[in-house]
Amino acid sequence: MPEVKLERVTKRYGKVTAVDRLDLVVHDGEILTLLGPSGCGKTTTLRCIAGFIVPDEGRIFLGEEEVTRLPPEQRDIGFVFQNYALWPHMTVFQNLAFGLQLRRTPKEEIRERVREVLSLVRLSGMEDRYPRQLSGGQQQRVALARALVLRPRVLLLDEPLSNLDAKLREEMRFEIRELQRQLGITAIYVTHDQAEALVLSDRIAVLNEGRLVQLGTPEEIYQRPANRFVAGFIGLSSFIEARVVEVEVETAVLETEDGIRLRVPRNALAEGQAVTLAVRPEHVEVLEGSPADPENAFRVEVIRAAYLGDSIDCRLRLGKWELRTQLPPGRVPPPGEALWIRLPREKLILIPA
Amino acid sequence: MGIKWRRALLEGLLLCFIFFVIFGPISSLVIWSIAIRWYWPHVLPQEIGLAYWKQALGLQRDWAIAAVSIWGAFGTSMLVALVSTALVMTMAIPAGYALARFRVPLKALILLLFLMPKAFPQQPIFVNLLPTFTKWGLAGTVQGVILIHILVCLIFGVWITTSAFKAIPQELEEAARSVGATRWRTFWRVLLPLAAPGLLVSTVFVFITSLTEFTGTFFIGLPFVTTLPMLLYSSSGYNMQFASVIAIVLLIPSLLFMVLIQRVFRPEYMGGIAG
Repeated sequence: MPEVKLERVTKRYGKVTAVDRLDLVVHDGEILTLLGPSGCGKTTTLRCIAGFIVPDEGRIFLGEEEVTRLPPEQRDIGFVFQNYALWPHMTVFQNLAFGLQLRRTPKEEIRERVREVLSLVRLSGMEDRYPRQLSGGQQQRVALARALVLRPRVLLLDEPLSNLDAKLREEMRFEIRELQRQLGITAIYVTHDQAEALVLSDRIAVLNEGRLVQLGTPEEIYQRPANRFVAGFIGLSSFIEARVVEVEVETAVLETEDGIRLRVPRNALAEGQAVTLAVRPEHVEVLEGSPADPENAFRVEVIRAAYLGDSIDCRLRLGKWELRTQLPPGRVPPPGEALWIRLPREKLILIPA
Repeated sequence: MGIKWRRALLEGLLLCFIFFVIFGPISSLVIWSIAIRWYWPHVLPQEIGLAYWKQALGLQRDWAIAAVSIWGAFGTSMLVALVSTALVMTMAIPAGYALARFRVPLKALILLLFLMPKAFPQQPIFVNLLPTFTKWGLAGTVQGVILIHILVCLIFGVWITTSAFKAIPQELEEAARSVGATRWRTFWRVLLPLAAPGLLVSTVFVFITSLTEFTGTFFIGLPFVTTLPMLLYSSSGYNMQFASVIAIVLLIPSLLFMVLIQRVFRPEYMGGIAG
């Protein structure tokens, strides 16, 4: 059953269309990430679902109920803000109890539920602290607890980790994922961080300029990006533009402007068609010396290489194209050195231009 | 002695120091208020006594002492100041909230409008207002004086209140809405407590401004409404003793407010708002 459904939701600010006819269905119990660069409309979308913003057009459903114009307090949502937004004049307990008090929950039950949710976010015994006495990570856990204690129908998270330092951020990703799965709560998570999206999500909705660009599981998004934007935004990609020059039974041959020929799976390619090849760093195979099998093997030149500890980040020149790859740790090749590489045909990502 | 006591002692001493820095220069007022005879070139009065204080507080009537009971003027001043402050704040709090939060058309113009009575010399404004007040039957009445005080004080009320509300991040409000609080309840439970220090400052400003207001009261209130500043101005110059007594009486509310603010400004309110 769909928990959240958006139908052609549109929101404009003056001449700028922040969200453009967005259709989206979030299933019961899944965590869906809205991913995109800043200004892509992901936060606006989330705020529309929360009710902080009323869309100009389109409809929003929570379960069976249309909530497009319902004020936020009647929506049964939990919202976690980027800057935590804990009430500084209330203790942790008061912050968590506020929503329950509004629902006229008996005192004993409030105490019990606050205790329960605090142990869930590993902050037991912090009831009487004020937010300013907590670290950033603890504050964000309280904010999460405040949303969870009400057992909302949908949990909405707006870049909740981006104010935390890198190490804590990585830990919290797993923690949020674990909590969401444990509680079976439907969640929508907004982020611009593709690594976060890949770790956290059941499905990812990639947005760009207010439009839904691709919707799929993390594997689908990473392995079969729908267009050049997605390929470039999620994971690293190097791009090569080419044209189909030959179509055979199982394979096709592409040729670039500068005469580089590549063999790829045939798929639905037609002769003369323009395509973009996206090459992931891990798909570049570095060969020992000149190869026996010449298919998709090229002599390239090192542009520059950087030592990263566990690997060597390397930029290579192939004709007029630049490829990025990671070499295993060892000798850092100097600029100008020649290498042999292979681009295995089954791993190349083909994007119709 | 516990740490609490030592802390209280330290705070007391600090407060005394601040009082001295602020009120030290005004100590000549105290000396003047108890001087019966004080002629040049004496550094201190030749004869001191509480005659002016007694007379001003209505404890004695002596025709040789040039002072009258201040209680009537004190009552009028308090009434005018309290009513003006209450009315100004009931207008300023919603207005400040609206100006801080909603897209009010011509916002800058409205804020500028409140500034107007302060941006021009006051005398021409009040002189110009007098015929209107006379026409409405407000000249020479307490109601008229209250109205003119509201006009003068509204700027402090609205400007400070607006910035107090503006300083509260929007998300704190949205968080309250998201857990089920209506706009009204959010205002009472989240906004008002967080804006309290700013609102208190604004209230104090308004109250003191009203208490010491002279020009408007002079033009609109004369000759029937006498407030403490009016009494003060009419006796200053030739009667320093009586003027000093009134000046000290006017200082008392400020002192009380300092103590009040010191008690109300708790770190809970201040910390974390920016976070």
